[in-house]
Amino acid sequence: MKPTGILFFPAFDWAISPTHPEREERLLYTRDQIFEEGIMDLPQIREYQPGLATDRDIARVHFCVPDVAAQITEAHLVSAGSALRIADAYMEGEIKNGFAIIRPPGHHSKTVSHGNRGFCNINNEAIMVEYLRQKYGIKRVAIVDTDVHHGDGTQEIYYNDPDVLFISFHQDGRTLYPGSGHMDELGGPLAYGTTINLPLAPRTTDTGILYALEHLIMPILEEFKPEVIVNSAGQDNHYSDPLADMRFSAQGYARLNEMLAPDIAVLEGGYSVQTALPYVNMGLIMAMAGIDYSNLREPDYVPERMRENPANLEYIEKMVRRQLQVFRQREEQIAKNRKTRERFHHIHKQIFYDTDYIHEDQSIQLRLCPECPGFRLIESTAQHRNGYYYRVYCVSIPANACASCQAEGHSCYTDMSSNDRYDLVYLQDRANDDYRSIDIKKDVEMVL
Amino acid sequence: MLIGIDVGGTYTDGVVFDQGEVIATTKVPTDDSDIKSTVLQVLDKLLLQQDKSDITRIVLSTTVVTNLLATGKGERTALLLIPGYGLPADAYDISNDTFFLKGGIDFRGRELDPLDEKELGEVCNKIVAAGIKRAAIVSKFGNRNDILEKQAHDYIKKHYPQLSITMGSQISGKLNFPRRATTAYYTTITSQEWNHFVDEIDNALMERGLDCEVHILKADGGTLALQVSRDMPCETVFSGPAASTMGALALAQAGMNAVVLDIGGTTTDIALLLDGQPLYASKGASINQRYTHVNAFAVRSIALGGDSSITINAGQVEVEAYRRDVAACFGGKNATVTDAFNYKFNLNIGDPALSAAALQQLGDKQMSKEELSSAVFDIVTNRLQDAITSMFKEWENEPAYKVWEVINKRKFTPEKIIGIGAASRAIIPYLAETMQVNHLIHQYADVANALGAAVARPTLVVNLHVDTQTKTYTLDPGGVRGTLDNPRNYQLEDARQMAKKHLEEVGKERGMASYTDESSFFMEEQFNMIGGWDRTGKLFDVGIQVTPGFIAEFKGVKI
Repeated sequence: MKPTGILFFPAFDWAISPTHPEREERLLYTRDQIFEEGIMDLPQIREYQPGLATDRDIARVHFCVPDVAAQITEAHLVSAGSALRIADAYMEGEIKNGFAIIRPPGHHSKTVSHGNRGFCNINNEAIMVEYLRQKYGIKRVAIVDTDVHHGDGTQEIYYNDPDVLFISFHQDGRTLYPGSGHMDELGGPLAYGTTINLPLAPRTTDTGILYALEHLIMPILEEFKPEVIVNSAGQDNHYSDPLADMRFSAQGYARLNEMLAPDIAVLEGGYSVQTALPYVNMGLIMAMAGIDYSNLREPDYVPERMRENPANLEYIEKMVRRQLQVFRQREEQIAKNRKTRERFHHIHKQIFYDTDYIHEDQSIQLRLCPECPGFRLIESTAQHRNGYYYRVYCVSIPANACASCQAEGHSCYTDMSSNDRYDLVYLQDRANDDYRSIDIKKDVEMVL
Repeated sequence: MLIGIDVGGTYTDGVVFDQGEVIATTKVPTDDSDIKSTVLQVLDKLLLQQDKSDITRIVLSTTVVTNLLATGKGERTALLLIPGYGLPADAYDISNDTFFLKGGIDFRGRELDPLDEKELGEVCNKIVAAGIKRAAIVSKFGNRNDILEKQAHDYIKKHYPQLSITMGSQISGKLNFPRRATTAYYTTITSQEWNHFVDEIDNALMERGLDCEVHILKADGGTLALQVSRDMPCETVFSGPAASTMGALALAQAGMNAVVLDIGGTTTDIALLLDGQPLYASKGASINQRYTHVNAFAVRSIALGGDSSITINAGQVEVEAYRRDVAACFGGKNATVTDAFNYKFNLNIGDPALSAAALQQLGDKQMSKEELSSAVFDIVTNRLQDAITSMFKEWENEPAYKVWEVINKRKFTPEKIIGIGAASRAIIPYLAETMQVNHLIHQYADVANALGAAVARPTLVVNLHVDTQTKTYTLDPGGVRGTLDNPRNYQLEDARQMAKKHLEEVGKERGMASYTDESSFFMEEQFNMIGGWDRTGKLFDVGIQVTPGFIAEFKGVKI
């Protein structure tokens, strides 16, 4: 039996600020617990060394404004690089599954990155998924976001990609950051139904979450048949998390991962650093490695206090039924959407970066291509913390774009390459693994 | 005048070293069933030409404990574990006599669940009924708070005074409960036999009128006073490879990256020197496939040596993992690795004609002597090179937990191969040439292990953990736990001083006070603990050590 790969990178020398939830101390007690348990010594576990992501790995997913270096620290390169390292170990067949216990986190980062949102600058899972597709030719991937906060960054990145199934359950956006993740966020017109959200009421327990897993997430995964299942593994559904209000336990997390059986899990949020993280991380490792976790629990866990409210369970059942139906009707809906006469689908949105206090204005045009998922044109403006007001133009061509979308995307890039309306013009051509940008004022093209 | 004795698997070597020169050496076959006699035989031979009153220090590297653990002949011992929540009980498959007790401590050293004395009493009844006289008691996070171990210890002392108890918190202060349990268990099962050995050595030295310092070499290349070693027999495992590594270091005398190859009759031990410091096994010494908290050099042993015999199997040349006899050039019956090198490179070892004849006979009509010896050369150099490369890789792939460690990742490029052991002269120069690195085979290479033992200095590692919120500190070795006087203003500098003070105190107890000035900090960590948005306390982890090195009077070896 192959071992489970663990890459533990607690970034003991990185913090957003000294008292921020994303601080040096976050995984300290997790280290104490997993080292004291000696779980890394077991034959079922193989520990891996962190790796470093490259600017290209990041540009495959993000348009970093003005450039990659401006949006990241070395810690981000290590965190993302560590997800890639575990992905490599999995793909090379060294491990049966892998868990990257890494920080900084990433699931709130969207395609365009002007700054830090929800503690995230770059999206570790998306960078890993695009790496898997580019390096190993993987096509279909499922990302299950088990963080208490809606994985809005990952959702946005794959909103128009029918080959990446994104499922997120989280505390209802009306009660928690980032405020999104509602039932009707179901994917773009050509990727309808491969984005599934399940906003749960505050104080939902193990029973409620595991019900949703068993009756919604597992059936969808079975029907979608992904080549790789990724758990975007936040740990803040825990009953003791200081930033959220759910009632999930370490046993619940272990059971969830046992049932979900992700190929790769990547740590996201979770800020109950003493009461939850040491036990939840142990639970995840044990479940993934097939080690009996019945003796694991938090010292203050009282099961009797964590009973599910019958009304809430009914509410979850209702949501589950509806979302399952949406998923099963997705192909008919996409066929309908394709029949529209519009060449482009237009969207306009505003994005707020809570950590960096940046307001971004975005307008997106998606080519409604009859042959492929279509390329995207993104125009984005935002005033950065340094006072500089950036206006950028981005062309994103998906990996499986048809020839005409590729050609049209490239000509959009060329057409804008001297348009002084913009500070920067970007090309992200995943079909040819080609990433470049032009600094209009300096008239310099940078090829990554 | 210094004496070093290294008990090896096949031979036991001894040297007398004085003012930069080896003035006497001896070698006798090791009698595994009576190591004490082997040691004394070597000692007596060395003393023949010396004035006993000139001997100032004797260092022994022995296999007593290593053998005891390998053969499973230690004393029957009950292992009492307090694991609390976490891994299932079957994760702790250490002793056949394992008993689990209620109770729990967390990573901050907070007591989660109390000990159940009634349960403990029942367990003790079973232990006593089984005729077991020793027990080791280890609690998870007992290194952060030993209260449960102490309570159990005191209860047993009071109600079952016939049981002798070891506590895990006194064995190691490091995290990793299974390694602590294993180390405590191994310490306990070897305690009686080891103390018996120490008594015998003590008596023998007294009989011989020797009144000098006597030390035992540890797996980490440092020495330990014979009397101090009584409480920590496990520290003496794998001292053979430690002796050869220290010997190589003594002969090379340079702060470079190097590979140490100790090529004996049937095995080769490979160790790495990084900037002149031996590389440690990151998970501690692995004994019987179990990790321990015993500090040991990272040594890889491969079954290949000068006496490894050569065969031809279906037209393929093979180097066997064992010896049939000594090399043909020394009168052995078969062609060996040494014979192949002897012939190929005209080394003039023993009687070269016998090497040639043995190769001729083995090759018969299938293969010429040239082809045969070249094939053996390829096999030997490839296997050694592969082992060395994979050791580098393993070191380069060690986990890292800080950004700067990942960014400043080092690569290992060997600058020299240091050859020691009897067969190194035949093999190393040609291996080094293939690898395109320099090599060193000192004139004392054959006795480097005993020499390494003779001149090694004591080592000591102290770990301190401080929690200013719970106002406690724990110090290792010794499992010292106390309360902080000034938790509010406690700074990293206070932690450094506290660790240094403990190092000096333990150093004094162990008779190595003169070396504690040469200590260095190898770990300094501090974390702010935040509750809400405020700092509620600090955590410190500080480590200070006297690294492996040489005694003051050793000023190098004369060329």
